[in-house]
Parts: sequence; C-alpha cells; structure tokens
Amino acid sequence: MEYIVIGAIVLLVVFAIAQYNRLIRLNITVDEAFAQIEVQLKRRADLIPNLVETVKGYAQHERSTFDAVVAARAKSTSASTVADVAAADGALTSALRGLLAVAEAYPDLKASSNFLSLQEELSTTENKVSFSRQFYNDNVRSLNTAVKTIPTSFFVGLAKVGAREFYEVENPEDRNVPNVKF
Amino acid sequence: MAENNFRTLQSANKGKTYFLLASMGLLTWLVAYAALTYFGAGTASTIVPLAVGFALIGVWGSYYGSDKLVLTMTGAKLIQREDAPELFNVIEEVVIASGLPMPKVAIVEDTAPNAFATGRNPEHALIAFTTRMLEVMDRDELQGVIAHELSHVANRDTLVSAVAATTAGAIAILSDFLTRMMFFGGGRDRNRGGNGNPLALVFSLVILILAPLAALLLKSAISRKREALADATAVSFTRNPAGLRKALEVLAADTTVVRQKSNAVAHIWIESPLDSTSVSKLFSTHPPIQERIATLRAMESLGPSAGN
Repeated sequence: MEYIVIGAIVLLVVFAIAQYNRLIRLNITVDEAFAQIEVQLKRRADLIPNLVETVKGYAQHERSTFDAVVAARAKSTSASTVADVAAADGALTSALRGLLAVAEAYPDLKASSNFLSLQEELSTTENKVSFSRQFYNDNVRSLNTAVKTIPTSFFVGLAKVGAREFYEVENPEDRNVPNVKF
Repeated sequence: MAENNFRTLQSANKGKTYFLLASMGLLTWLVAYAALTYFGAGTASTIVPLAVGFALIGVWGSYYGSDKLVLTMTGAKLIQREDAPELFNVIEEVVIASGLPMPKVAIVEDTAPNAFATGRNPEHALIAFTTRMLEVMDRDELQGVIAHELSHVANRDTLVSAVAATTAGAIAILSDFLTRMMFFGGGRDRNRGGNGNPLALVFSLVILILAPLAALLLKSAISRKREALADATAVSFTRNPAGLRKALEVLAADTTVVRQKSNAVAHIWIESPLDSTSVSKLFSTHPPIQERIATLRAMESLGPSAGN
C-alpha cells in the first residue's frame, strides 16, 4: 500500500516538474526571440548612416526625408519595452520606405554599386526583422496559451511566469504575423 | 480551423505519417509471424533478429553520417558565406523564421534546378542547391525552396525516412532469406517446426511474397506525406505560400532532371529526379507537383492575415 502512495507522489512530483520546466522554457524562448528582434533592429540601424550618406551624394535636396530617417533611427536605439521598440520599429520602417521611394527618382543612384549592395543588405535585414517578429509572436502565443490552459496554468505562480506582450507594429501593413485567436 | 490552413495541414500530414509508420510496424510483425509459422521457432528466432540487424547497420550508418555521405553521393560541395552572400542572406532569413540553427550549405554542379536537405538532427543539418536552381529562382521563390528544405530539417525527415528504410530493408532481407530457404531445404525446417495448419502455411507464404512490395509502397507513401508536410511547414515559416508555389511551377515547367538518377538518394530532392512516367504514382517518393501547387494556391487564397 505504501508503495502505491509513494509511487503516486513520485509521479505527481515528476509531472509538476515537467509543467514548471515547460513554462520556464517557453519564457526563455520568448526572451531569446525578443533579443533576436533587437539584434536585427540594431543591424538595420547600423546600415542607416551609410545608406543616408549614399543617397545624399545623389539627392541633396531631399532634406526632410533624411531627417525623418535619422530621427526615427535615434528613437529606435533608445527604446526598451516591447511596445516602445515596436512603435519605433514601425516608424523607422516607414521612414526607410520613404527614403527608398526618393531613391527611385534618381537613376544614377539606383545604378551605383554601393547603393545596390546596400539595398540587398537592407532588404535582407527587413526580412530578418519581420521574421524575428513573427518568431517572437509565435513564441508569445505558445507561452500565453500555456499560461492560460490547464495543467500548465496551475504552475504559473510557482514559475513566476506570466502572459507576455505581442510585438505589434503600428502600421498594420507591416504585420506579417496573422493574429491567431483561440 | 480553416483560418489556419497550414497548421491543419501540418497536423493532418503528421497524423498520416504516424499511421503509415504504425502500418510498417504491423507489417514487420506479420512477416515475423509468417516466418514463425512457416519455419518454426528455431529458424525464425535466428533470422528475424539477423535481418533486422543487417537493415539497422546498413541504414543507421548512413543516417548517422548522412550529411557527409550525401555530399559524396551527390557530388555537392560545401560553401561559405563569401561564396554566395545573397543565398546566405535568404537562408539566414528563413533560419530566423524557423528558430533552427544555421545549417551547412552546399552546391551541386548540375544543369537541372533542384535542392535537398539532410543530416541526422538540426545541429548537423545540410541543405544543398544545384547551380541551376540558384540561377532560375528569384528571391521569393528561393525563400520558399529554402523554407521547404529547412522544414525537412525541422520535421526530422532524415530520421523518419531512416526508420522507414530500416523496416522496409529488414522485411526485404527477411522475405528474401525465407523464400530462398523454401526452395533449398525448407522442408527440413518445416518438419522441425511442426505447424501442420495448411491455412496458416498458405497465409504465411502469401505474406512472405507480398511483404517486400507492401513495405516499398508504405515507404513511398511515407515519403510523399513528408513532402506534403514540408510544404505546409514551409508556409508556417515564411507565411508566403506564393513563393514556394512559384518555385514549384518553375520546377514543373523545367524538363531537365538531375544527372545522377540514383534511386538511393531520389527521395531527398525537392523535386523527384526520377522520370515520373517510368515510376508509377504509387511508388513515387513525391506527391504530384501539380497537386502540391494546388494545395499552396488554396493557402494563398486565405490571405496572409486570414486569422484576423
């Protein structure tokens, strides 16, 4: 009889540890995914001075476009919370779009090898930014589901893990991630 | 569930794989049973483990070293970032989307556009492209192809096909053994086994003859399901079914096939390198390409934000 009781307790403990670890693991993955967004945003921010200089060489009159990009970049490097980072990211994305639209009007610029290689760098970085957002949001979705569903929800207090914020870019066109409802 | 088509497709294809793998298990069990009734416990208890052992050694050796072995079999050459910075950019994008580690990348000199993935686990993954593939694909299409290949890595398809190949191999060896023994001295064993039920004997004989064929069919069916699964997983990475769909259309329109038509590595390419007319649909390692295109097109019509 006592073996059954001991066995049941052991099973229960193993089960509890598994649920606890699952929550912790999901939470760490979300942290990592957010760090990945920041890495990619930093990459993009590092590309901008070079890009602005290159475009300036061909299109000096487009002051306001340059200023918008530089201002958006400055704001994005100082943001820290998910909502702030997302907002700054959205602003910089649309400022960059403006800059590239300006470039369209200057055939010499578009043909320059420097601009072409920057454009490739920029488009891959844009893709990486949007995929890292998508990966982050997917992981937040898994974590939030675990936090709200039984049995993991019983261990939320113990693991000190809670639902996390989705990364939502202001401009709805920039959101590549379908917002999945359960 | 319709709003998350790729998720539904993913779980459906996974379910079917489990069913097929279970059927493989059942088939192995049937063959073992047939061996037991036909030849008696003495013979069966030595040759069944022997056949499974042979198959295991053969397949698992190649599974473990798959990333290196396939390199030599296909003549692929590993490349670094400097060799193809744009290709690496696109691969890195999909790597971020999938959360997988960065795979090794290789190039095969070939005039047919094709690609494959291999490696025993995501840490030892290798994806390879033919030189022609990189010429004909635009960025979106290439992204779709890479996503398909990385899906094989994420879904552990090298493992799945190794399991399928082991079972099919064991069954083939076993039934080969047994049919030979039937003609050369099978009678002696039968006397020792002493199973006199003629119905069971006939049944066992039929199983032994048909089993290798059934195993081959199951193996092909598993491979087809994994291809369909990889297409669905690819969409979950890129959320852009159009990219992979266009890539498949390019492949479908292209009539050249990869030069080396080795059956042994046919299943790993994104488009089957074997001539579809010579191989019947049931034995094919890939679903018909038009069917794959149609499935992706259906996902496109849902739109990128169909979940909202």
